[in-house]
Amino acid sequence: MTLTNELPSKELLDQLLAARAYKKWPIAKLISLFESALPEKQQQRHQLVKFMSENPTQFPKRSRVIGFTGTPGAGKSSLIAELCQTILATNPELSIAVLAVDPSSQVSGGSILGDRTRMHNGCKQSHLYFRSQASNLELGGIAQTTFQATRLLRYLFDFIFIETVGIGQSEIDIQHMSDQTYLVMQPLAGDQIQFMKCGIMEIPDCFVVNKCDEEVLARTSYYMLRSALKQARIVELDARDDFRKSAKDNIFLTSAHTGMGIPELANHIVSIENKQQWQNSEWFYLTKAITQDYGRFGLAILKKNPQIMRLADNDSLTFEEKSAMAQLSIQQSIL
Amino acid sequence: MSEHKAHQILDKEGKATIDRPWIFRTYAGHTNVRASNELYRSNLQKGQTGLSIAFDLATQCGYSSDEDIARPEIGKVGVPINTLDDFAILFDQLAMDEINTSMTINGTSMWLLSLYIALAEERGIDLKTLQGTTQNDLIKEFLARGTYVFPPDQSIKLIVDMYEYCLNNIPKWNPSNVCSYHLQEAGATPVQELSYSLITAITVLDAIKERNCFSEEDFERCVGRVSFFVNAGMRFIEEMCKMRAFTELWDEICQQRYGVKNPKYRRFRYGVQVNSLGLTEEQPENNAWRIIIESLGVTLSRNARCRALQLPAWNEALSLPRPWDQQWSLRLQQILAYETDLLEYPDLFDGSPVIASKVADLKAQALEEIQKILDSGGGIEAIKNGYMKSQLVISQVQRMSKINTGEQVVVGKNRWTDGIDSPLLSAADGGVFKVDPESAAETLQALEETKRQRDSEKVEQCLAQLVADAKAGTNLMAASIACAHARVTTGEWAHALRGVFGEYRPPTGVEGQSLNIENDKLKDVRAKVENFIETQGRRPRIVVGKPGLDGHSNGAEMISVAARHAGFDVIYFGIRLSAVDIVQSAIEEDVDVIGISLLSGSHNEIIDQLFSALKEEGAEKSIPVILGGIIPQYDIPTLMDKGIKQVFTPKDYDLMDIMNNIMDIVMASKNEVV
Repeated sequence: MTLTNELPSKELLDQLLAARAYKKWPIAKLISLFESALPEKQQQRHQLVKFMSENPTQFPKRSRVIGFTGTPGAGKSSLIAELCQTILATNPELSIAVLAVDPSSQVSGGSILGDRTRMHNGCKQSHLYFRSQASNLELGGIAQTTFQATRLLRYLFDFIFIETVGIGQSEIDIQHMSDQTYLVMQPLAGDQIQFMKCGIMEIPDCFVVNKCDEEVLARTSYYMLRSALKQARIVELDARDDFRKSAKDNIFLTSAHTGMGIPELANHIVSIENKQQWQNSEWFYLTKAITQDYGRFGLAILKKNPQIMRLADNDSLTFEEKSAMAQLSIQQSIL
Repeated sequence: MSEHKAHQILDKEGKATIDRPWIFRTYAGHTNVRASNELYRSNLQKGQTGLSIAFDLATQCGYSSDEDIARPEIGKVGVPINTLDDFAILFDQLAMDEINTSMTINGTSMWLLSLYIALAEERGIDLKTLQGTTQNDLIKEFLARGTYVFPPDQSIKLIVDMYEYCLNNIPKWNPSNVCSYHLQEAGATPVQELSYSLITAITVLDAIKERNCFSEEDFERCVGRVSFFVNAGMRFIEEMCKMRAFTELWDEICQQRYGVKNPKYRRFRYGVQVNSLGLTEEQPENNAWRIIIESLGVTLSRNARCRALQLPAWNEALSLPRPWDQQWSLRLQQILAYETDLLEYPDLFDGSPVIASKVADLKAQALEEIQKILDSGGGIEAIKNGYMKSQLVISQVQRMSKINTGEQVVVGKNRWTDGIDSPLLSAADGGVFKVDPESAAETLQALEETKRQRDSEKVEQCLAQLVADAKAGTNLMAASIACAHARVTTGEWAHALRGVFGEYRPPTGVEGQSLNIENDKLKDVRAKVENFIETQGRRPRIVVGKPGLDGHSNGAEMISVAARHAGFDVIYFGIRLSAVDIVQSAIEEDVDVIGISLLSGSHNEIIDQLFSALKEEGAEKSIPVILGGIIPQYDIPTLMDKGIKQVFTPKDYDLMDIMNNIMDIVMASKNEVV
């Protein structure tokens, strides 16, 4: 399709300005537009992103994107709910959007998105926005729709928290979008560490051992995790074996139930800076889409085209423009 | 002495005798304390032998009538209680030292017991004469009924406090009543009923043991105070076997786990309310027969006969019952006990190889499940990690699937559905009970009056003491009784403790469940969903939640599971939400339809709240709302006028019909917007 560079329609602009003032329904409608699978929505997305990126005085925000990954049952939702409350209570000027991904049924394609039940207290706060998303049967833990929603929300909120679907080792896509990734775990036993050592352990920047409702649990978990990390030489360790200083090792011991460790983790998150080059995530999702449509064959064509390969670092074109160029390049080479 | 015949029951002197009947109860209470008091007195006059008090949802969930969340519920499913002054009217002219009072109260049971004690003290009644039961089973509240207030650990602490207090102060009181009743209503199989309620009893007794507040002898007596509240469904032979299995398992647990030597304290004492889940809205008169058959399961076998029985009314699937409907059910009990020869014989089934084998089978399966839960950390853990809840949802889903496919026959519902209309429904009141909406004023006025007259300094002191005791972890009975005397309100008592203990939202159990329905209706609805995806660019989204205090979540859970099966993305938001919560979630999630479920009779008030919240967002025209639950037919036109697109009641049991209907509503609303 050909993209045009007109301004967004009046209706869309109104929606966008209302969304910037944290009006919930306009935000919701715009997210739906970014999530939409209808081809004609690409043009509108392109216009909106172009408008926001070219008007930095009106849209000065660039969210810091925080990923929360880890197995189901680790208490990610409750932890995120507690963190949102703590951060917003101490930093009322900040705003947070939460995207929570739950799995879709292999049989019907439908889903039950239950994370919202944990956010019960947050639904009336104007600076907090919560959206449930279905994984849409994608592997990788976060959906294409999550990437798309983030393209919008990063201009509107100070933070985007992404809760991944939580199926262990396939939770790897998040690293391409987030400025910081936390692996949330339950208090551990030795064997669990062993199997976690490979794969997913290499993704996160930090570890959160949640549900440390008792000090003994916290202490044991810290020592177990620390020794595993040491062995695997994944991170530099500074805390000199003192579990009370575990944050120095980027290990956080928390309990959403007792509130332990929550303020420390909240402070840590607030101090995170933009690290991710956003064009990286766009390139990742672009190549992912190409692979889905054309397989490795398509990818090989892109790699032979230096003009396309330069798009990986390009920060001025929109995702739609880059996608269109990539598509065109493949089609030309096939014809 | 004459020769003993095997078909005779002998008394202590060896003479042939007959048994005394069980206690006849009717679960009752509505409108306000004055109306409920009149009802109790007239029920006792009709030959009822015990009181079973139904409280309204605000009282059960720890709110005073004048709080926003309480207002739609005042007097709906039971009597509203705010202060000791209310209790004085509720028990006016009732002899507290003679009657046996059963209170269906859980999250706030310590508070209601404190009011009962304070009233007895003000009347100069010896506390040792008080007899009765506070239901006080929080595990089943987390699993099925939803009127919990505090988190699991603190809830168990309050129960243990009550056992500690009652044993020596009001020794004839049953501080808690382990309930399998609600588990069956939530879909439990007989094995699940046995195992989960016994796990509940074990959890409570283990906690008492851990506190170590009793001598060995007192602990035995304490075990003897544990009573049960059981359900009985249509498979009445199996239900009878379940009761025999209960009796035997409890005896074994008391002996083996707790070393109780005196057989008297190992006896499985239980009351029954027979099953309401299987009662149908279609051809409701058939329910009268169902209730009789369900009663047989818990009365036929002398060794496993209930101590007290309460029966639902034939029209419970339509609305709350009228006094006449309850009288009709009471008469059934009286006929069974006094006109038949049921009470003349020893146990009819001892020695039957069929029964023995069935009982052994149930016991073995139940023991296996009990062990499984104990091995994975016990009852509290199985609440926190959602294990028991998910098992119940699975059973309920299987049951619904079987009714939907016709594998399980329900007469008048999925077989022999054509029939002559019931003349019972043609009375001027439509055959159902209505709470007078004006009656709440009396309750609110009384509350205001008490608040004006009480010593507010004293109130502050008593509440401060309650908070201090809660923080210190001491027994909270003394502070609660003092609060009762000082005219503290139900809401004030509960809020004070919420401040210390926090609140809790248990796992919903619906994630990952799937239906076993494959039929043409499913194909139809999935085709509609595909069509939606093509035109709208995404799956249809529905938010499902329960506004208000009513915690009966089965309906909402089934709709969620069915919608996922049909291909919806379902945002399941759980129970105890305000109308504003639900609207906010619908807005943030940009859903295509809102589905809410209500069983408490407060639908008119709550729907008003919901639409005013939608209006505030400017979304009242854009997001269609559907409603399910126990909704009387005569309310439906009003609800549709308010803007509800469709009302589903228990007769709409075919889940895929419902889904097709919802998809049609969703598509119609999309076309309207265009």
